Amino acid sequence: MMMHNLEITVKQCPEVLERVLRVTRHRGFKVTQMHMNTQDDSSLAINLWVEAERAIELLSNQLDKLIDVTQCKVLPAAQLDKTVNA
Amino acid sequence: MEVGQKMRGADAVIKVLAAHGVTTVFGYPGGAIMPIYDALYGSPVEHLLSRHEQGAAFAAVGYARASGKTGVCFATSGPGATNLITSLADALLDSVPLVAITGQVSTSVIGTDAFQEIDVLGMSLSCTKHSFMVTDINELIPTLYRAFEIAASGRPGPVLVDIPKDIQIAELEYKTPLQSVEAELQAQSCDLAAAAELIKAAKKPMLYVGGGVGMAGAVAHLRQFINQTNIPSVATLKGLGSIAHDTPGYLGMLGMHGGKAANLAVQECDLLMVVGARFDDRVTGRLASFASNAKVLHLDIDAAELGKLRQPDVAIAAELRYVLPALAEAVVDAVHIQPWLQDITDMARQYQWDYNHPGELIFAPSMLRRLANKLPEDSVVSCDVGQHQMWVAQHMWFRRPEDHLSSAGLGTMGFGLPAAIGAQVARPNATVVTVSGDGSFMMNVQELTTIKRRKLPIKILLVDNQKLGMVKQWQQLFFEERYSETDLSDNPNFVLMASAFDIPGRTITRADEVEQALDEMINTPGPFMLHVVINDAFNVWPLVPPGASNSDMMDQMEKQT
Repeated sequence: MMMHNLEITVKQCPEVLERVLRVTRHRGFKVTQMHMNTQDDSSLAINLWVEAERAIELLSNQLDKLIDVTQCKVLPAAQLDKTVNA
Repeated sequence: MEVGQKMRGADAVIKVLAAHGVTTVFGYPGGAIMPIYDALYGSPVEHLLSRHEQGAAFAAVGYARASGKTGVCFATSGPGATNLITSLADALLDSVPLVAITGQVSTSVIGTDAFQEIDVLGMSLSCTKHSFMVTDINELIPTLYRAFEIAASGRPGPVLVDIPKDIQIAELEYKTPLQSVEAELQAQSCDLAAAAELIKAAKKPMLYVGGGVGMAGAVAHLRQFINQTNIPSVATLKGLGSIAHDTPGYLGMLGMHGGKAANLAVQECDLLMVVGARFDDRVTGRLASFASNAKVLHLDIDAAELGKLRQPDVAIAAELRYVLPALAEAVVDAVHIQPWLQDITDMARQYQWDYNHPGELIFAPSMLRRLANKLPEDSVVSCDVGQHQMWVAQHMWFRRPEDHLSSAGLGTMGFGLPAAIGAQVARPNATVVTVSGDGSFMMNVQELTTIKRRKLPIKILLVDNQKLGMVKQWQQLFFEERYSETDLSDNPNFVLMASAFDIPGRTITRADEVEQALDEMINTPGPFMLHVVINDAFNVWPLVPPGASNSDMMDQMEKQT
């Protein structure tokens, strides 16, 4: 089982979290941690930790396709390690 | 600021449709969408009343698929909207551009379990490309414009716009929103060069062509590519019609019920060039053994498909209309595959369909082959789901992908009749035939009323084995002949039923009646039902059993009677 960390920027709208979490579940990823905050420019920043046996690109590519997702970044392994250690 | 004409939100909805060239919408009225139906009354936008919202949305899907335009459907809140869901899911899996507009209860009572209230936006999340609920009258027009843009751009798909009743009656000033034009995806030259190298190095290349070619308007580009390179080809269910059926090296459909030559050629190839296709499990059989010796070159507009199921050696996410000509230019005169082409020709000959079926009973494959040969140039064939659907795919041939409407990804029984209605509206001069089965036909049979109401000249070819044939086939092969709930021997009298909707028809049971009956069906002005009783023992062959490799197809088992 692999842990992955995604940094997702989305447009603010009432259903956007549902969209992100629905895709995450349906594509076979389990959310283990989530942090979200509103940004000044009417967007939201979501930091998502997920666990899965599947390659993370299977999720990040699908999240990228969502119309309200403006950016979906998979944090690189090095950064991931640092975050985990911190 | 530009001052526009004052009108109700509902009137603006109709005006936006007209601005997008929408001439026909398919729908069913109800409480929460009454202002929009009021605005429709007397407007230049024609409305086709279905008798179930699923029928309306499938008609919009058929309209879109037969014409290449965006289909539009209306439904009311609650049950109206829930009835749309199957069709939206169908459009999502088959990438059909569709805009569905649903009425919703007024914003003040949303969330109170009001009459005919259900969370349509929530339901739409998993069965649309995108969806909106409009809660601000000022957002109505920009949202509708955005819905049309999203439905048709990139990989097309269904978009739902839920409009509460108070927004429909609120007043606005009509203003055309500023539109941003999204840049079309262009291929990187380094990727094109890498792709060209793969093609040039291949000794046994194979094209695996999907529905993306037709959706991208790239049929001519693909045919030109094949013409310039002679690379042999197979197609998916949705890809049928992209390649002319008599093209040298074209082996027809691959996959679970594909031709043996098509599957074996793919298994043997050393380069699989995937064009607008997505490694669906009905295509690949056991994925690990699918074309396992081949390198993969994957071309698709949707980057999320690249590497989703099979890691490509080179992948290009771009418009096929640009990629295919660029690749053809890069490899022309550098593809030398004569021995492979000879293998392909030999395989095609060895595994060609056998239409020699002696006996009195009607053999559906040869009947459908005859039908394909009889249809005029401007024809559309829709079908339902099951054995007849696979026989249509195997034994009929199509001039263009938009001439073959089949529920491929979702496999929705009940698709054929309403899709034919949409196709006939989109192409009034075309001969539209819906080939159905006795199981599927009953799923949206209420749409016979729509044919009657609009006097649509749709031909219904009902292939009847008094069974849910495909399920029965699997019960026979994989469930020890335990025929659980697949007997339909108490079917209604179909021809009598059609006559209640002013649709003439006849029943045939013998092979020697087929030729004349097909002519009668095609040549009868107006609608016609040809009810064809077939041998209920006959199954769809060949077949890749579930979980098996495409190399291991099962052949015909039953005796011909």
